[in-house]
Amino acid sequence: MGHIFDSLQQFWQFTGFANCQWQNLVMIAIGIFFITIAILKEWEPLLLVPIGFGMIIGNIPMFPGLNIGIYEDGSVLNTLYQGVKQGWYPPLIFLGIGAMTDFSALISQPRLILIGAAAQMGIFGAYLLALSFGFAPNEAGAIGIIGGADGPTAIFLSSKLAPDLMGAIAVSAYSYMALVPVIQRPIMLLLTNKKERLITMPKPRQVSQRERIIFPIVGFLTTAFIVPSGLPLLGMLFFGNLLKESGVTKRLANTASGPLIDIVTILIGVTVGASTQADKFLTGKSVLIFGLGLLSFVIATASGVLFVKLINLFIADPARKINPLIGNAGVSAVPDSARVSEVVGRESNPSNHLLMNAMAPNVAGVIGSAVAAGILLGFLG
Amino acid sequence: MITFLFNSGKMRKKLFIISSILFGALTAGAQNVSDLVISEAEVENETGITDSFGLHSGWIEITNTSQGTVNIGGCFITDDLSQPRKYMIPRTDLSTKIGARQTCLFFFNGPEFIGTFDVDFLLSKGSVIYLVSNDGKTVIDSLEIPAGLPADLAVRKMARDAKHVNFVAEADPAIPSPGVMNSDGNEETGAQKIAREDPFGGVLTLTSVSVVFGALIVLLIIFTITGGFFSGRFENPFKRSAKAPKAGKPDAEVAAAIAMALERELSGGDDVAAAIGMALDMYMDDTVHDAESFVITIRRNEASLWNDKSKNFRQLPTR
Repeated sequence: MGHIFDSLQQFWQFTGFANCQWQNLVMIAIGIFFITIAILKEWEPLLLVPIGFGMIIGNIPMFPGLNIGIYEDGSVLNTLYQGVKQGWYPPLIFLGIGAMTDFSALISQPRLILIGAAAQMGIFGAYLLALSFGFAPNEAGAIGIIGGADGPTAIFLSSKLAPDLMGAIAVSAYSYMALVPVIQRPIMLLLTNKKERLITMPKPRQVSQRERIIFPIVGFLTTAFIVPSGLPLLGMLFFGNLLKESGVTKRLANTASGPLIDIVTILIGVTVGASTQADKFLTGKSVLIFGLGLLSFVIATASGVLFVKLINLFIADPARKINPLIGNAGVSAVPDSARVSEVVGRESNPSNHLLMNAMAPNVAGVIGSAVAAGILLGFLG
Repeated sequence: MITFLFNSGKMRKKLFIISSILFGALTAGAQNVSDLVISEAEVENETGITDSFGLHSGWIEITNTSQGTVNIGGCFITDDLSQPRKYMIPRTDLSTKIGARQTCLFFFNGPEFIGTFDVDFLLSKGSVIYLVSNDGKTVIDSLEIPAGLPADLAVRKMARDAKHVNFVAEADPAIPSPGVMNSDGNEETGAQKIAREDPFGGVLTLTSVSVVFGALIVLLIIFTITGGFFSGRFENPFKRSAKAPKAGKPDAEVAAAIAMALERELSGGDDVAAAIGMALDMYMDDTVHDAESFVITIRRNEASLWNDKSKNFRQLPTR
């Protein structure tokens, strides 16, 4: 009888109840919160559901040595986590993004490309702020990339520059991407007047298949020669787009934009979520990273809108003026930020559809953030 | 199916070409022994490092300058080019794999001491030591040992550029540093350099913003120009003249004539005539032309649901 009691007592020590700390419960609650907003509000559900559940997986209390934790060499989770740690997953996601993105809006209106560059100010604004808060330059660079509003890019860069901060950076980036409609709308309204919001833009011209095929090749050669350190992201993005546009590799494009990106999204979401173990995640630094991440989104949105207003000063022809409400779309959360432009534009004039115009800076933002990541990696790596 | 593919002469030729290209690319890209450098040597080792037998033997250091692991097994070390295979480094020892930017040491302690890293002849001053490739002929690298090299000092090559690791032989003997890559110590990371040179981040920020804008401005210029050609705003220098339309593709007048003729033939079938007319129009604009040449296609519109069985059900009378 005593032996059974001893065994039960020993078993109790193995359980999550015996090893539980309040930090675990906080992280589990955050995970449940993510799942809840993903399901109820449908905010980035494809990312927040895997991340939220991953957070719960990673924060089940246990004692080390069972070789099951994400930070224990050789465990299943650790093996899957290598794709994040070594940076394999983000380029694969970029391949899928390239294969599902239509760059026609950008090709037909090249002048809107620069809005995508202006919105990258969020990255560098957050970098400067992070430095002033005492982060090392490599950590500041990894935090700054949150302003690129691009989850895979944030994971890729932070895994190279500041692996210890990657969990907080990835969760912060994806959280704010989910909150793009909430964050951007007030800034857009604050920085524009009614007259500017009513500007109508011409419908983008139709782009031929030949132009769409030339785009990924020329785009890749140009950006990769300027920033070779962005090769994994830029290469896969443009390669995926060539698969889509060439018209002769439909099977490959379908796989890249369908099953492949889905599988990698599941793996990246769960493992990034599981990497937020309470003891590594609940720190003062993480709180600061969340604050800086929010500021980077604000700066990026404001920079995009203000840049459009600046360009408009130099455009004499009223018919060619750009609606500043598409400035926010330079933040590369595709297509959410472009959708915000459309929604806010229609609030002022229900017949003013800005979505197609906003897609140009939106996809330019994807290229811009990958270029910015390449620059930061080149300087700080 | 596979048998058919391999039996086809054209397919075999294609497979051969593809395999050759792949093989060439893989072998060209692989990290290989040509990335190895004899970076340091000490002959009279009186007080320095000892070999696995506890002896102060002469030694050489070999550095892998590449970014990948290189297996030195099967290569040769010699001090006499007439005997390039004087000492063969064992092939089967896993420890002969040298990691990226790592070094390994070989001790010259004579034939009575046997080990992977124990060379069976002695190192002598005034000689040249060679590292020979695993083909037994190609000299990968060599290091000349000065006749007057003092005891407990080494001859070495230094990597002045830590990023590209270009080793340059030094004239003066140096204090030995076995097992450590020879560089001038300027190996700080990018972040350390930025922390030292640009603590507030202003320079990096300005540079990065300029590069991001620069890259996208280049794209802007390129696509403004190409867009101009494709949209007809600029004259396309590569476009064939109107008098010589692309074989098999009708020009606008011919397309219009075909459309009119079809419309006449299909009297009463307005929808068909309109569809053909639209297809021709879009074909001329190059918006519906797909991979097949000489074929006019109308993309299938899934939204039309013309073949949706539920649409063919008998409709119930509505009251």
